[in-house]
Amino acid sequence: MVTIPEERVTPAEIRKKSGEGMVIHWRDGHASTYGARHLRGRCPCAQCVSEATGQRLVSEEHIGPEIAIEAARTVGNYALHFSFTDGHTTGIYTFEYLRRICPCEDCA
Amino acid sequence: MTHSTITESRVLDALRAVKDPDLHKDIVSLNFIRNMRIEGDVISFDVNLTTPACPVKERLREESRQAVLAAIPGVSDVRVNMTAEVRRPPAPETGRIKGVKNIIAVGSGKGGVGKSTVAANIAASLARSGARVGLLDADIYGPSIPILMRASGEPEMKDGTIEPVEAHGVKLMSMGYLSGEMPLIWRGPMAHKALQQSLLGVRWGELDYLIVDLPPGTGDVHLTLVQSVPVTGAVIVSTAQDLGLQISMKTLRMFQQTKVPILGIIENMSSYVCPHCGGKDEIFGHGGAVRAAQALGVPVLGEIPLDAAIRKHSDSGVPVVLAEPDSSSARAFSEVTGKLAQQVSIQAFRSIPLTIIEE
Repeated sequence: MVTIPEERVTPAEIRKKSGEGMVIHWRDGHASTYGARHLRGRCPCAQCVSEATGQRLVSEEHIGPEIAIEAARTVGNYALHFSFTDGHTTGIYTFEYLRRICPCEDCA
Repeated sequence: MTHSTITESRVLDALRAVKDPDLHKDIVSLNFIRNMRIEGDVISFDVNLTTPACPVKERLREESRQAVLAAIPGVSDVRVNMTAEVRRPPAPETGRIKGVKNIIAVGSGKGGVGKSTVAANIAASLARSGARVGLLDADIYGPSIPILMRASGEPEMKDGTIEPVEAHGVKLMSMGYLSGEMPLIWRGPMAHKALQQSLLGVRWGELDYLIVDLPPGTGDVHLTLVQSVPVTGAVIVSTAQDLGLQISMKTLRMFQQTKVPILGIIENMSSYVCPHCGGKDEIFGHGGAVRAAQALGVPVLGEIPLDAAIRKHSDSGVPVVLAEPDSSSARAFSEVTGKLAQQVSIQAFRSIPLTIIEE
């Protein structure tokens, strides 16, 4: 198991920009801005990623540009859960995962 | 020098020399000092700690007294009243159980390590110190808390919520109540629903600590717990035996992965004292939990001996901390409970609120 520095994957502040996306300020000072389509296309749930092969079944190109986040909530201490306007609600995005899919130039 | 020079701010300045050993701040900055009164040359005040189970309570009382006496001449007496108010860690409002300040999960890698006995004694010990305590038996495979706490009757349903049973000053709920005499043969989704009902559908009232006795290992119940409510921290009960420990590490890592702070490891059945010859035997080895805790950088909360008295009182439904409070086993449990309460207080100060700001 690779250990990730705690402050890299611990949020200091989480903001929901109406339906269009999320901004997470991490404890290490980095800020990640996620669009709704970026998040929906990277959903980690078993419907979007094959459990048997690990192959991604639903990705960003399958998602329309009008997608938005209807609701966001925290899951315990470790993850976020989104309800998307296409009715999809099964993904649990851990903070580690969210940091890994940060779309900024430095991270990508 | 006259009495008129004794002022509240001088007393507070003197008390800044007293530090809480766990929170690493002075007791004035921590806002512990309450109800100060200066009558002539007699000063009295409350020191409001973060837990009634604080193991350094007497030390802080004496240090506070001495600090004021040393700094302000002309004071004839300092009366320190020790009080406590358990702080709530900042956590999201969503999913939190209303009125419950801290949720403590008690887990183990495998069954038979005495997890439920430890959970019952911790709960009874916290209640004895004056805290308001709930104990949820979430062990669907072998719910044993009703026996360990000699809980009579079953919880009643009132207006759609469950009224918990009370025993030894502790509010109890057991997943065992949901099935009566029948074994719980549940698939994941059923265990998930039952735990959610036992957590959120129970009228717990105001609680300082809710202790959740988990099933051994890692599974559906654990996942539901960490996903449904913000857990303040987890305690791992293990024997010193390496095999037991290696498995416990998996439980520990599960909590780490789901961002539940590890409050510490308790080594149970640590040593056996022969009632006939008084000789001490370390049946499961010794110090395994201590070594593992050091390697992982988590606190050791203590070692509980393998003592027939613990078993005897558990069977009769009175935790040893209440049945024989002066026995060495009861003292071991009290010490573990004090350290646990300290870790919870530290966690409450360290954690930052995790809420989503809507724009």
